[in-house]
Amino acid sequence: MNPVKRLFDSQRHRFAKGGRFEKYFFLFENIESVFFAPAVVTAAVPHVRDSLDVKRFMFLVIVALLPHYAFGIFNVGYQSHRASGLPLDFWPMVWVGLKTVVPMVAVTYAVGYFWEALFATVRRHEISEGLFVTCALFPLTLPPTQPLWQVALGISFGIVIGKEIFGGTGRNFLNPALTGRAFLYFAYPAQTSGDAVWTVLVAGRAAPVDAFTGATPLAVAQAVESGSIVQAWSEAGYSLSTLFFGLYPDSIGASCTLLCVLGALFLITVGVADYRIICGDILGFLAAGTLLNLVASSAASPYLGLNPFYHLMVGGAAFGIAYMTTDPVSAPALTGARWVYGFMIGMLTVVIRVFNPAFPEGIGIVILFMNCFAPLLDEIQMKARLRKRIPNVR
Amino acid sequence: MEDLAPPNQVAAAAGRLRFVKPRLAVKVGDRVKVGSLLFSDKNRPEIQFRSPGGGTVNAVTFGPRRRLQEVVISLDIDEDYEDFPQVSNADLGSIGRERLIELIVGGGLWPLIRELPFRDAARPEALPPAVFVYLDNLEPFHPLPKIYLDGAVDLLDFGLRLLERLSGATPVVTACSHNAEVLGGLKGISGRTLAGNYPAHDPGVVLYRTKTSADQNHAWFIDGQDLLLIAELLKSGRFPTGRVVTLGGPAATRPGHFRTRIGAPLAALTDGRTAAGEVRLVAGGVLTGNPTPRDSHLGLFEKALVLLPEGNTSGDFLGWTLPGAQTPSYSRAFLSSLRRRGEFPLDCNRHGGLRACIQCNFCTQVCPVDILPQLTYKAILAGEVEESLDHGLLDCVECGLCSLVCPSKIELLKTLRQAREQFYEEMS
Repeated sequence: MNPVKRLFDSQRHRFAKGGRFEKYFFLFENIESVFFAPAVVTAAVPHVRDSLDVKRFMFLVIVALLPHYAFGIFNVGYQSHRASGLPLDFWPMVWVGLKTVVPMVAVTYAVGYFWEALFATVRRHEISEGLFVTCALFPLTLPPTQPLWQVALGISFGIVIGKEIFGGTGRNFLNPALTGRAFLYFAYPAQTSGDAVWTVLVAGRAAPVDAFTGATPLAVAQAVESGSIVQAWSEAGYSLSTLFFGLYPDSIGASCTLLCVLGALFLITVGVADYRIICGDILGFLAAGTLLNLVASSAASPYLGLNPFYHLMVGGAAFGIAYMTTDPVSAPALTGARWVYGFMIGMLTVVIRVFNPAFPEGIGIVILFMNCFAPLLDEIQMKARLRKRIPNVR
Repeated sequence: MEDLAPPNQVAAAAGRLRFVKPRLAVKVGDRVKVGSLLFSDKNRPEIQFRSPGGGTVNAVTFGPRRRLQEVVISLDIDEDYEDFPQVSNADLGSIGRERLIELIVGGGLWPLIRELPFRDAARPEALPPAVFVYLDNLEPFHPLPKIYLDGAVDLLDFGLRLLERLSGATPVVTACSHNAEVLGGLKGISGRTLAGNYPAHDPGVVLYRTKTSADQNHAWFIDGQDLLLIAELLKSGRFPTGRVVTLGGPAATRPGHFRTRIGAPLAALTDGRTAAGEVRLVAGGVLTGNPTPRDSHLGLFEKALVLLPEGNTSGDFLGWTLPGAQTPSYSRAFLSSLRRRGEFPLDCNRHGGLRACIQCNFCTQVCPVDILPQLTYKAILAGEVEESLDHGLLDCVECGLCSLVCPSKIELLKTLRQAREQFYEEMS
């Protein structure tokens, strides 16, 4: 017999009725169900059920995110060594990345799990796996220099206010990971914005070496007053391939467009992400970008004339599209509404990036904003759909 | 097809009948003939259930809240038959509708003709907008029409003609594409071939796909095999007792078609054909059927018995991380999605914990009548009866696909069914 199984079997009596830890039976059951699917049988028609459960559904998202962690660990170390003027040796860079990222992930999971377990135990239900996805997404969106106590605070806000007070995964209307991220953005702007926060400095340095620019591509783009943005990027060292592979200072794991594309394709293939939202997003980005191109003139900000495909490639756009907008709970339920939802996210993100100097990156805020409109979009499509139906009311 | 040995007892099962409030007409020890009245509905006198055997009533069992479960009859060696009026082929052209209703009601087979949207016994007082006769059932392990129609095509034809007389409309006879050859044997009526997966056969689905106005909602329908019973009753003047049933499911060691009697004990089917281990007996189909005790009997409407392993074991170590090449699923979340056909293990395990709806939309994708089950479900839980009706609650054919595919293991079918039943109670 599996030793883990033996451990659970030997400890079960302590948590059963009359046992010493009777109060914590749900916690025990919750932990056990992570290792072994419960031996629960159907009690109502139909008597057979699909093998897919929410655990598997959410697990697939985490699988898609693992490459982002590998990339994030490397990139944090890479940017850190560049900024600190250290040689670009692989393993030392990975070590810096690990030292930075692993504690953030550990804190996120520990704090997130604490809240979920607390609510699950009090409410006497099982732990919902949405938590694990939220906790996997959250650190990837943070600057690598975020203090750990702020990480803890952010994930607490995301889980409790973004989700638990509404009843837990499935009943939340905001994306919990983004809720936590937005909280940190507004509560601690000094640690979440500016040019300095995206790079970890090592070797006792207080400032990066002179040749290094810590500004993210979006910040560079916003600062350009005349001339070409692409030119400004290439002067800052951001070539087309750098932007596509995400090797620039940014949040830990969100910058790599390549991995986002692969992740999105994976999630669509396994049926977790809806292609409608993703296509809507992309169309929205391109539509808004093209529209701005049309009104661009030499007098206007050069940001208006930026090729719309660049918008998809820089900052958190691709990451947001692949993993945040596709969260089925906070997105609309109906297919048509999902197209509109995605399209609006794309449009608004470009508009905010170009016109609002307070937000170099707008996608996080825009997704939360559109989360609020998801029920309305559903309602509109529902009304239209029901009008077409031949009534059957007795 | 295998002929089962004649049982020594049969029963009229009432416990799994829906929308029927039985009023018992016999007591233990009474002598009954084949076709004697056993019980009828308290509110609707046309709903009668007659004895599928001749002999002595040896048990009347009750379930919770004293609901009648079964009337068990131990059979005489020579059974007596009630005499019912006969209708010949020639009579059929001249017989009046009222008289025909009287004969079917009096023969105890009226409940076999059912009415949408609730699928209760048809209301004889009104002419239906349409009548559907479905010859096959796509629910797994149901009798094939070419087997039960073997040698009974004339009887079916007779049944269709009397149905036409009864309803004033030409019956719409349907079979799905892989069973379409049986439609070739029909005389006078051209059948319709249906394409699609389960539950494309269902008259509720056919009606939903073809209706043009709300006037058609109350169409009638009858199963092909049930129509044979009515035809036999009128043609022979005797209450019919024969039935072709199927035994299937992963725990059936010798599955197949069996000719037996209406109300036969389940043991007659399962003995020697059941795999070892804990097995659940589901009467009426793997997706829509009800769990049935082993000592129970086949109900009037039940033509399939499915044996499912209980599956009462915990899963593999970290099973949710395994690729799942042998895991049956509607979704594409397992490696098995590369192999759509073939045999997959099936049991009664729920395969996961209860969760809140995560809007995966699988239920919407599988719903055959374009309901948005997860939103209808939420409307029902919020007490919004009107809204759930607008969503198409009454179009629901109770196929069970929404509950089957739900990764959150939400009891969608149960909730929708209960809401439909509650609405039915309020309307009647």
